[in-house]
Amino acid sequence: MVENQPIVAMRGISKRFGGVVALSHVDLEAYAGEVLAIVGDNGAGKSTLIKILTGVYQPTEGSIELDGKPFSMASHSDAIENGIDAVYQNLAIADHLTPAENLFLGAELTKKVFGFQALDNKLMKSEATRVLKDRLGVQLKSMDVATESLSGGQRQAVAIARAVRHDDLRVLVMDEPTAALGPQETARTLELIKVLKQQGLAIIVISHSLDDVFEISDRIHVQRRGQCAGVVKTADTTNEEVLGLIVGTRTAA
Amino acid sequence: MSQSDSTAPGGAQTLSERQTLSERLAPYVSFLGPMAMILMIIVFMGVVEPARYFRLSNLNQILLDAALYMPMAMAMTFVITQRGIDLSIGSVAALSSIIMAFLIKQYGFPAWSAALIALCLGAMMGLINGLVITKFKVPDLIGTLAMDLVYRGFALVIAKGLVLARFPDMITEIGRGQSLMFLPTPVLIGVLTFIGGYVLLKSTHFGRYTIAIGSNPEASDMTGIAVDRHRVYAYVLMGTMAALAGIMLTGKLNAIQATSAPYFNLHVIAAVVVGGTSLFGGRASIVGSLAGVLLLSMMINALVTLRIEFFWQSVASGVVIIFSVALYTWLQKKDRDGSGGMRAAMGNPDNRKLLRLTGYIVGAAIILSIASLMLGGSPNPSG
Repeated sequence: MVENQPIVAMRGISKRFGGVVALSHVDLEAYAGEVLAIVGDNGAGKSTLIKILTGVYQPTEGSIELDGKPFSMASHSDAIENGIDAVYQNLAIADHLTPAENLFLGAELTKKVFGFQALDNKLMKSEATRVLKDRLGVQLKSMDVATESLSGGQRQAVAIARAVRHDDLRVLVMDEPTAALGPQETARTLELIKVLKQQGLAIIVISHSLDDVFEISDRIHVQRRGQCAGVVKTADTTNEEVLGLIVGTRTAA
Repeated sequence: MSQSDSTAPGGAQTLSERQTLSERLAPYVSFLGPMAMILMIIVFMGVVEPARYFRLSNLNQILLDAALYMPMAMAMTFVITQRGIDLSIGSVAALSSIIMAFLIKQYGFPAWSAALIALCLGAMMGLINGLVITKFKVPDLIGTLAMDLVYRGFALVIAKGLVLARFPDMITEIGRGQSLMFLPTPVLIGVLTFIGGYVLLKSTHFGRYTIAIGSNPEASDMTGIAVDRHRVYAYVLMGTMAALAGIMLTGKLNAIQATSAPYFNLHVIAAVVVGGTSLFGGRASIVGSLAGVLLLSMMINALVTLRIEFFWQSVASGVVIIFSVALYTWLQKKDRDGSGGMRAAMGNPDNRKLLRLTGYIVGAAIILSIASLMLGGSPNPSG
């Protein structure tokens, strides 16, 4: 299941904001077809870590390798171009736009009309319907409603679809995907993650819910006070061990 | 409540059907609202004063009056949808058309080039507004209110008390010509700007990002949209359309002065808001804005036709705005249950306190008036 070569590897990453050390010498590897969970207390550096991975922040120290080759990102769009994208906790959705309009927000499909670039709303709608159905197995009742009228899980699906719309997407980072969802919607979202994993994506999930983590992840990366407290295989560990790593009463074997 | 529970399957079915109906109606609410009010005016005037209100010349007058506000209402729809507001449009219109008038009257510029220069000036003033708001981080309300003073001041500096009048035919054609037998030229211009606005909103990046920015500025920023640049675009469009309105006003009156167009901003904002564009951003209705403009013009014309004193127009406009905004807010509220009418409202301690406050204020005013009447002598008129 796990290939030898990670798609993306972060080596010795440190990040300082002024005098505050947010991360110090953290390693992280993401493999195709694997779900890596990142857990840790508030302020442990989880968000900073994935913001560096998605090009939002630049590391103070350390390097990132893509397919074993060093590469650097100046911005989030660099990350997207290299097949790394993220779904944020607040989903970054414009509630008044339709699902299709949200899916292509900032990267609209256009057509030429009398020599002018015009939005191709029809194509975007059919493409959005296709991505939602083929990649995520989600079919919305109507594609013409404002996204605000959808359920939490459907909105989540729209946000994920925005990332997987790129066929060359290889690494998907999800920040607290189930935090705002009820039990049923959580189960649906975890299903989505499994579907994407089977499609060969490397998925990195930040979560506070150890139940969710144990259900979907293959490996668990524990952050503690800006450092990696350990990376464990989900199959070989227990809830208590991970909790111990999070609060620091246990160190990685 | 328990009754509807017991009839679960059938009840749920009809409920969901009803929801889809209201969902299907939702996009048209902004258009239906003003349309219903327009219909009410038509019915009312049809009963009270049909002969004079529906005369062809009067309908022409209504359209002519509405046309002046059409370009601005179109642009203001974009500004408000982005959660902005522009209070400077009256002054932008006045200043750009004053300069145009001087270019024509004093420097002998041809009308077409002076008019185009006026449009450029309007765009430039819009650009300044946009930069003040996005670069200096001055909130829209204060920024455009202050720029309103600046532009009005410049207009007064340039024109002093002068009234510039009698312009070339091209300008008066723009303002009050009858290009097509029944349709005045300004109406044609206004409708064309609305068609342009509709295309802009539906089929361009600017339109799409306008809704996205108003709906969720942070998300728009995260998706890589240049939020500030597109906000500036909206103000440039607004300034240009205000200048166009200035030219139309100049042509309509065949005269312009520095104090012209004092209430453009409130009238246009009212029309847009009545048309269902949300002041909280993200919800745009170009067609609604057109309906809003027509509604206000029809209402004001109705007041004139009924020979109601001019000053009532202000009262009527204000009341219409309050009612339409309250109506939209009510319609958009998702959970309308548990309101329970008057008695429940009185059960709320906050409402009781507000009622008591109202009582104190009214009581104080009455007592003061009675005391003054008893103490006061004969009235001596001032002056």
